Amino acid sequence: MARSSSSSQSAGARARARRAVIVGGIRTPFVKAFTDFTKMDTIALGDAAVAALLDRFPVPRAELDALIWGGVILPGAAPNVGREIVLDLKLGAHVEAMTCTRACASGLQAVTLAAAAIERGEADVVVAGGSDSTSNAEIKLPQKWVHALAPLALGGKPKPADYLAVLAQLMPITDLVPTRPRIAERTTGEVMGEAAEKMAARNEIGRAEQDEFAARSHHRAAAAIASGRFDEEVCTVVTPDGGKVYADGLVRADTSVEKLARLRPVFARAGTLTAGNSSPLTDGAAAVLLMSEDKARALGFTPRAALRSWAYAGVDPADQLLMGPALAMPKALARAGLSLADVDLVDMHEAFAAQVLSILKMLGSDAFARERLGRDKAVGSVDPARLNVHGGSLALGHPFGATGARMVTTMTNELVRSGKETALLGICAAGGLGAAAVLERIG
Amino acid sequence: MSDFLVDLSQHPVFRQTVKQLGLPLPMPEKLRRARGPWEDRPLADRAVVVFTAGGALGNTLATALAPAGAVPHVVGEATDLRPFLSPGEAFGRPPVHHAPGASPPEDLRAHGLVFDATGLRTPAELRALYDGLHPFIGALARCGRVIVLGRPPRTASQPAAAATATALEGFVRSVAKEVGRKGATAHVVYVAPGAEARLTPLLRFLLSDRSAFLTGQPWSIDATAADAPETPFAPSYVRPLEGRTALVTGAARGIGAAIAAHLAAEGARVVCLDRPGDETPLAQVAAAVKGVPLALDITDAAAPERLVDFVKDPAGGGGRLDVLVHNAGITRDKTLGRMSPEYWDQAVAVNLGAVVATTTALLDEGLSDDARIICLSSVSGLAGNVGQTNYSASKAGVVGYVRALAPLVAGRGITINAIAPGFIETRLTAAMPAMTREVARRLSALGQGGEPRDIAELVTFLASTGGKGLTGQSLRACGGMFIGA
Repeated sequence: MARSSSSSQSAGARARARRAVIVGGIRTPFVKAFTDFTKMDTIALGDAAVAALLDRFPVPRAELDALIWGGVILPGAAPNVGREIVLDLKLGAHVEAMTCTRACASGLQAVTLAAAAIERGEADVVVAGGSDSTSNAEIKLPQKWVHALAPLALGGKPKPADYLAVLAQLMPITDLVPTRPRIAERTTGEVMGEAAEKMAARNEIGRAEQDEFAARSHHRAAAAIASGRFDEEVCTVVTPDGGKVYADGLVRADTSVEKLARLRPVFARAGTLTAGNSSPLTDGAAAVLLMSEDKARALGFTPRAALRSWAYAGVDPADQLLMGPALAMPKALARAGLSLADVDLVDMHEAFAAQVLSILKMLGSDAFARERLGRDKAVGSVDPARLNVHGGSLALGHPFGATGARMVTTMTNELVRSGKETALLGICAAGGLGAAAVLERIG
Repeated sequence: MSDFLVDLSQHPVFRQTVKQLGLPLPMPEKLRRARGPWEDRPLADRAVVVFTAGGALGNTLATALAPAGAVPHVVGEATDLRPFLSPGEAFGRPPVHHAPGASPPEDLRAHGLVFDATGLRTPAELRALYDGLHPFIGALARCGRVIVLGRPPRTASQPAAAATATALEGFVRSVAKEVGRKGATAHVVYVAPGAEARLTPLLRFLLSDRSAFLTGQPWSIDATAADAPETPFAPSYVRPLEGRTALVTGAARGIGAAIAAHLAAEGARVVCLDRPGDETPLAQVAAAVKGVPLALDITDAAAPERLVDFVKDPAGGGGRLDVLVHNAGITRDKTLGRMSPEYWDQAVAVNLGAVVATTTALLDEGLSDDARIICLSSVSGLAGNVGQTNYSASKAGVVGYVRALAPLVAGRGITINAIAPGFIETRLTAAMPAMTREVARRLSALGQGGEPRDIAELVTFLASTGGKGLTGQSLRACGGMFIGA
């Protein structure tokens, strides 16, 4: 059962020879699905973020090597969103591009792929990021339609009898209704909220704790917006109908534990998860500019932070679906040669308040450390003062593919502004996956 | 093979009608069986009620249930909860406490009821069994499990304690018959002092969907089969047969083919043996499991030697054999007065003679230490049957062989057990007269026949590293058949 994390050294040490650095990042405002960005698909959102990034950090186009993009709901007709962005923005045909998907960790995956490519010497300048438009999720046509109609559509000259045969195949008619996309696990059929609801029960996380955490996320995000500190990382987006979107649309400065306590549970009748302590469906995009350290200096940019380590982990979805970061974060810390107490900031993706609080509990548990991590002592506790200092996905929203790049951007800026040294990132993802990374300030 | 009544019984309208009319029709519950290879968490989110009853196995149960994904409900004193807290925290399965004597909450569907009866020593103390299970038996889910744990009667210091321990057996046999209608099963497991660690794998197996067709069965867990000093007991629950080589006789079809497939699915390299003449189906099975076919008449005098050579051959057995499954069997039915000597000889030679001869040869050379030997016996063989004097003699002989050989090979860490299948839906039983088949199916606690995979699941469990606690036993896989007990 116990897993050892001893083999995990070295990735950081080995990479020092050629370091990938973060020059800067930017994101679109995050807005509720089916509001301002309804007419913009994930490619259009990506276009907006990357265009803004290259406005703020004007890289000579000839220097740009690659674009790596993360996304979860990919458009069926153009799944390589990254390449579409390059072509839309005319960044230059030479800018090769890919699109990766690792559920909610897709954005961080894009960033670490970019860092790995730079550190291997495959590229010097890479744009990495991610986007998602829940408003443009494709309604899925049941496979039965596709298979039944294929002979008519693709099979030469159909006779009347062929049409009848197709009709016969299409019974019963209820199988043919297009289905709404659900954020459900393919293996267990469980909706993510139900999984988080179970985690709340199993880790004994109460409703009041969750609401308190959610309220804090909103208050901190609102304070960050009010202070103007997000101005350097949020761009203005012009929508197709000419409107301008300047600011995040989901943060509620005026919410309170009392208001959140009035909401009804949404995933189970006697549950504790509400719309208030779960992250909402969101449209948005975020992009990060990474370079090799030498190239950044040669082009006159200031390297601001580097990825000291990262780690991914997988657990049985039937175990606790969203516990992945409880395994990935200790792994990334070990690779960075740090303990949890050493890091100055912790930034966790807030899929659900219950999920963050569950993971914090696991990190603080000796029993968990013994059985699941093969170490004697708990990983450690996280002081709320250094956790998600400018709010998180509960308040800001969670465009699946964008969240990782948003967190990298915000934490890079926070390290630079505060002069602190290190930040630990943790993201949970569908399929029982966890992602983590350690950022360190440069200079 | 489809069982019309099992399929029909799934229909709510049919169930309702039969109930209201009071028809004397059996309505067997469709058994929930596992699909695919072993999983890390076979009991994910299933409620398992543990009755501590002053028993000694609280720690073992606590460390077995949470990692398997079960949610433990503990009926006992508040202090009995203590061992469950740390595994609960590590695996996100905090225990739920119920005071002794309290009725279960109305919404509880208990997948398992596990009673630790190791603390019961007198007939009067047996009352705890009634007190604990009486209020909870109604909360047992469909296809649930009742498991009673005791100390082996032979280790009891007092006759009264031995009586009390043996009483558990009668208790679970009756429970098995009572809960069989809802597809649920019951077992008693006798755990020898000092062998507690070996209980966990059996508990996982019995509580899982892989034991669907086993019921009313006593199991013994002991430390007879020795652990090598450098390899302590460390069962693996995912791909438990990785790196192991298995030989299955009679592998061309039916139960043998299912066994080969299951062993291969858990990572074993499988040598599929059947008689010359069945090469085509044998080759198909071997190809399907990515194994090696071997056409060999096991009753031939030279067979043991040829088998040893094949095992040693790198292209054959690959050097050493870890799992040996004697599945090949034949019937040559005639009443004693009408039976020809050839019929007698053939049945005894295949079913018993070849088992002894090949096992003896492979024990000398070919079988690894820590190997697992599994022999197929038969419930109808044990119970006796008109026209089966030869068959019953050979299948009963297997039971005696297993019992006698187990202590002799225990020092090498080798285990040997027999499985006695009841009515299994195969090509053979499909050829039975319809009425006989119908009677054979229904005369059991579960009211239905088994499938080849039910036998294969038990073989796989016995073949796994975790099966080490069992040796010298004959285990029925019969759905609680009313005959042959």
